[in-house]
Amino acid sequence: MTTLRDLWEVSLALCLLAMAALLLLLLARVISARLFDRTSASRRRLLPLLLDGDPAELEPLGKRELQTAADLTVEIAEMTRGSEREALLARATALGVTDLLIVQLRSRKAQSRLNAVEALSMFEGSHDHVTGALDDRNPDVRLTAALALAQHANAPAPLDIVNKLNVGAEENSLLLVSLMVDLAETDSEAVAGLLFEKDLSYRVKVAAMDALSQRGGEYAPLLAHMARDSGNEPDLQPRIFRALGRTGHPAGAEAIMEGLLSDNWTVRAAAAEAVGNTRLVAAADRLSALLNDPHYWVRYRASEALLRIGARGVSALRDASQSEDPVVRSAASKMLAEGRA
Amino acid sequence: MTFDFAIPDPAGWMVASAEAIALVVIVAGLLQIVFYFVLLLYAGAALGTRPPVPRSATLWRRYSEQAPAISVLAPAFNEELTIVESTRSLLALQYPDFEVIVINDGSKDGTLARLVSEFGLEQVDRFVDRSVEHAPIRGFYASPRLPRLLVVDKENGGKADALNAGINCTRTALFCAIDADSILESDALLRVVRPFIDEPDLTIAAGGTIRIANGCKVDSGRISDIKLPRNFLALVQIVEYLRAFLMARVGLGKMQALTVISGAFGLFRRRQVVEVGGYSHGTVGEDMELVLKLHRLMREAKRDYRIDFIAEPVCWTECPDTLSVLGRQRARWQRGALECFVKHKDMLFNPRYGRIGIVGFGHILLVDVLGPLLEVLGYILVPLLWALGLLALPWLLAFLAVTFMFGVSLSIATLVLEEIQLRRFPKARELAMLAVIAVLENFGYRQLSNLWRLQGWWQFIRKQQSWGTMTRKGFSTS
Repeated sequence: MTTLRDLWEVSLALCLLAMAALLLLLLARVISARLFDRTSASRRRLLPLLLDGDPAELEPLGKRELQTAADLTVEIAEMTRGSEREALLARATALGVTDLLIVQLRSRKAQSRLNAVEALSMFEGSHDHVTGALDDRNPDVRLTAALALAQHANAPAPLDIVNKLNVGAEENSLLLVSLMVDLAETDSEAVAGLLFEKDLSYRVKVAAMDALSQRGGEYAPLLAHMARDSGNEPDLQPRIFRALGRTGHPAGAEAIMEGLLSDNWTVRAAAAEAVGNTRLVAAADRLSALLNDPHYWVRYRASEALLRIGARGVSALRDASQSEDPVVRSAASKMLAEGRA
Repeated sequence: MTFDFAIPDPAGWMVASAEAIALVVIVAGLLQIVFYFVLLLYAGAALGTRPPVPRSATLWRRYSEQAPAISVLAPAFNEELTIVESTRSLLALQYPDFEVIVINDGSKDGTLARLVSEFGLEQVDRFVDRSVEHAPIRGFYASPRLPRLLVVDKENGGKADALNAGINCTRTALFCAIDADSILESDALLRVVRPFIDEPDLTIAAGGTIRIANGCKVDSGRISDIKLPRNFLALVQIVEYLRAFLMARVGLGKMQALTVISGAFGLFRRRQVVEVGGYSHGTVGEDMELVLKLHRLMREAKRDYRIDFIAEPVCWTECPDTLSVLGRQRARWQRGALECFVKHKDMLFNPRYGRIGIVGFGHILLVDVLGPLLEVLGYILVPLLWALGLLALPWLLAFLAVTFMFGVSLSIATLVLEEIQLRRFPKARELAMLAVIAVLENFGYRQLSNLWRLQGWWQFIRKQQSWGTMTRKGFSTS
């Protein structure tokens, strides 16, 4: 019986506790509403200071207004470019915004540190602070710092960045591709070098390949070699073929033709997609043969590629649209209809 | 305290039986409460440690280059009044690469004609997959002026069937299933795609928070002014949705034991959905069943995967504000949960399915299967047995604790979590109003809700398959 009574008393206590907590929060809300009014007034006062005038004439702001100025700076900086943006950032520096952001890099809240890194990366002369954020304990903050640094010529070496990010264990984001694209702008050879690092995660290599494929034909021979060499990696090989296709370079032709004959349907589909991207006319017959592939994606990519490679492909589709095989006929005639639309 | 009709000197076995009944009801209720509090803790941990939530502009700057293409599938049945505005709103979503596929599921009104005339569509042909089953497609409509829009006209087959047709028409790795009459936040896709960007090799599905739009102002297919509704039923449902999304789904997502992603908004990897045969026909819980099938597929194949839930609001929906429509909806939800449970009962407490078998199915068993039965039994028997003198007062108090007091504290605690982490209600007055509702709902509404769920049980036993009618009033516009 005591246990039953305890249950009742615990439930009452919990109920009262929850209500007291909510009352406190409501009180906090009322106070914060007043603070919000003050912040709005502060924004109205700071906006003209940030948008116009000589930075040398500006005095550093007091603590209370500095955060508002930092928020406002980021909002406006995201909408401006060139000299206008530089002038804005110079005024923000004069007001003391960068000092605040540097302090916030040590905040306990990851959200604050991440915002500080993003904001700081816009200011000239903040390279060391942003580089320091590569050692942050939060992976999102580290990735943000890496993305910011990669846009500058003096970024750390790709291998160092990848190691700091702990790719494969803590970081697997698709944003690694953006990172590699930016790093390759400065040092594409160092990014290509990541493909030969034995212990690096597969995710780094995929990102590096995608980045290199965006540099045109320069790395097509390397990707073609990798495409052939990755037959025992069923997850990786289709991605290499897609990257190879994106280069649009004829150096990949032979590997792509081989890919069309793969036992793995995802590789056949990726190779067919690559044919379309590289306009590989010589692959027309093999693509026609794929129109009765058991997998829809292979049939779709093959028919789409035939449409993209030009007159010979369209002619092959027309022939296939008369086929006795309903699967082939359907794929060809529908793709021709899509082409006409 | 004794009543005139109390049994004088009841036999020992009568008291023992009464206590046994009360014990079962109280223990079941207590288990539910403990489970909910654990979920609340997990939800708190998930919200406290979630990745920083950037503003829309930052999201776009950060993700636009790598965001994978998405097909938005919007099944529509007899929606001629709203379909044009809904489609316009979908086409205006902020996302770098997406296609909107509206599936006209054999509407008997002018849904298709409205779409064709308003968007200047023409009949086209499209080479589509046949991987998942659905009723025959009658035609495709598109316009070169709107390359992002494809309308699929098919014979009627229900929402699951329409979504399957959409899946077959999809040419992207990801698809987003929505209700055509829901209102999406303009950056909903950018937000919900995040798990697919963060863990591209693992994430196979993700859901987001659905909010109730009753009372809000809608302008050009967007929520322009967030306000609480005046209707009591709609207010109660706001508290219920907070508990369901903010506590249960965020908590279960953190545990990686999410068993449902709402049919109103969910992002899925097409390949795995096709592998499980798409949405199932012949069930009213097709959204839950799809998630269960995905868990089964990945667990049985011993493949690593993630099904995630993001706490940020992505979608607004109109909730029923009359007893009859709400009752039908709740009975249907109950029936859907029971159908899924029975269909996949071998997963219950089966170690082969890991935390899905233990936590996910344990949750369904406790809350959806046994919950309404035992609670209604308790409402009837515990006060009666106490009045008959077969139960002492502490039994009644313990019953009241598990059915009312813990329920109130849980709802208030969810509001506290909402206020600390998300602050989605602009005015303090609204939060105070919801706190009052969180108390009031336990006296009358909760009991009624359990009766509707019992009705769902009855329909399930009788194998009734109808969806019932969801009478929508339409959003108020500014």
